[in-house]
Amino acid sequence: MGLFTELKDSISRVTDRLFSEQEPKRIGIYGPPNAGKTTLANRIARDWTGDAIGAESHIPHETRRARRKEDVQIERNGKSVTIDIVDTPGVTTKVDYEEFTDEMEHDDAIRRSREATEGVAEAMHWLREDVDGVIYVLDSAEDPITQVNTMLIGIIESRDLPVLIFANKIDLDDSSVKRIEDAFPQHKTIPLSAKEGDNMDEVYDNIAEYFG
Amino acid sequence: MPHECTTCGRTFPDGSKEMLSGCPDCGGNKFQFAPAGRASGGSAQTSQASTATERDGADASASAASNADEESETTGTVGRAAETVRGWVSSSSDSTGNEGTETTDDSRSWPTDARDRAGEAETAQHADGDAATRQRSSGRATTDAAGQSPADSTDQSSVDASGGRSDGDRHSGGETSEFAAWPDTAKRPEDRSTAQTGAGTDADHAASTARSQSTDPVEPDRSPSGTGTETELKTEAGTEPESHPSGTESIMADSEDSAQADARSAVVQSDDLPAEAPADDVAATPNADDDVPPSDRGRVVSEPSGEQPSIEELREELNEQFESIRIVSPGQYELNLMELYNREEYIISLQEDGRYVIDVPDTWRSDEEEP
Repeated sequence: MGLFTELKDSISRVTDRLFSEQEPKRIGIYGPPNAGKTTLANRIARDWTGDAIGAESHIPHETRRARRKEDVQIERNGKSVTIDIVDTPGVTTKVDYEEFTDEMEHDDAIRRSREATEGVAEAMHWLREDVDGVIYVLDSAEDPITQVNTMLIGIIESRDLPVLIFANKIDLDDSSVKRIEDAFPQHKTIPLSAKEGDNMDEVYDNIAEYFG
Repeated sequence: MPHECTTCGRTFPDGSKEMLSGCPDCGGNKFQFAPAGRASGGSAQTSQASTATERDGADASASAASNADEESETTGTVGRAAETVRGWVSSSSDSTGNEGTETTDDSRSWPTDARDRAGEAETAQHADGDAATRQRSSGRATTDAAGQSPADSTDQSSVDASGGRSDGDRHSGGETSEFAAWPDTAKRPEDRSTAQTGAGTDADHAASTARSQSTDPVEPDRSPSGTGTETELKTEAGTEPESHPSGTESIMADSEDSAQADARSAVVQSDDLPAEAPADDVAATPNADDDVPPSDRGRVVSEPSGEQPSIEELREELNEQFESIRIVSPGQYELNLMELYNREEYIISLQEDGRYVIDVPDTWRSDEEEP
């Protein structure tokens, strides 16, 4: 992520300031790999702008660079909220190319692994520098109590960032929203299926409320 | 010590924080992951090559020429070595400045390498010796960066030659002689005690070391080729050979991580070194020297001894605090999220074969230095 992005970024911020009273908040979509972050980001972007943000895949670490969709206007109850959405690479403490070798060639797996690692570094960097709020996406069919989730939520809390926890993939049989609610009782948990578009109304209500 | 500066070959222990602000020696911000478990030959070569590159800077042309000539012959190992040494010496004698620089570089990089690969060192050397012929013919350049190839070849040849000698030494005398290539470094500490200033002295030492190695009775094949040069050298070496072996040994011993820390403690080391040097002939000496000599060579030559402790502290601190991304092997990484989050710098690109670029906030050199 070079000077370019930052330059563009700062320019867009300036223009935003010029033309709108309030600078749109930058909302980072965080979570472990394969939780459905990009699917959610695409869902939001398509619903409100018509564009997609990035490619989705069932193979973890499909998103290896942070991607941003700016000026997503979400209208709720007659009120309009504009946010920038940052779709970030899945955060993990371990990346192993052998995870991908079933799906691709050895060299590609190694490259993917390397890029995924860079992606984690980038995601953490964004979290430190550039987000005003966090949507934390979890696969509700997986155990939410992991080192990564605990640590990231802890970091987010320590920064006093507003955070919503999205219990994604409720269309799966193993899904358990309660497990997530119990794991992070201090935060609001919203069940949804980004893939199927289930419960998106509640999602947008909460986004508008939390990040508006 | 799996990290190595790709510019100057300086190596850093796993988790070293020094790298965060760029290589302290050359300012480079590109590093290569060189796991201890890797093929010793490969890593050793790389490091040597890089080291050599620096040194050769001045000598490169001369040595390269000699190498090219020599490359064809397998037997020529000794001869090449001798030539290289000669070239080196001559160059050093010609220009004191060059020599000084070279020496410093060598001392730093070599000892470090040696320590790192203590285990590997033997293997690597053997490999070098064996491979010497192949490497020259095939050209390590392939492995190494293309840009370095000329320098590398030179370096390699010299290294190889030394390696070959060392093999001979090892066979006859044992491990002590293994690091034939390193004698220069080894000698320096001694030189310092006696006469650090004289560039000529250093050169002589180096030459003598090299010769002494080549001279070794063990391998008749090599010696004959180099004889002319060697003889002269031998005379010089006559006095010094003892010291060389010790130096070499000490380097070897240093390879271990724990030893490094000890070695860094400054004052004692210098004292130890001179004393040890005479005793070197026996293999036993190396153990005692191990920790001390490398540190002296590595640091003292280039820097005041006073800095050693601070560096050590820094290292320890780094090891404790910093390890945001641990490269287990290419394609396998372990990440410390808190470190990634807390650090201002962050790794912007991990490259093939364990290389990676660190984005140092105050500088944007990374862009320039990208391959």
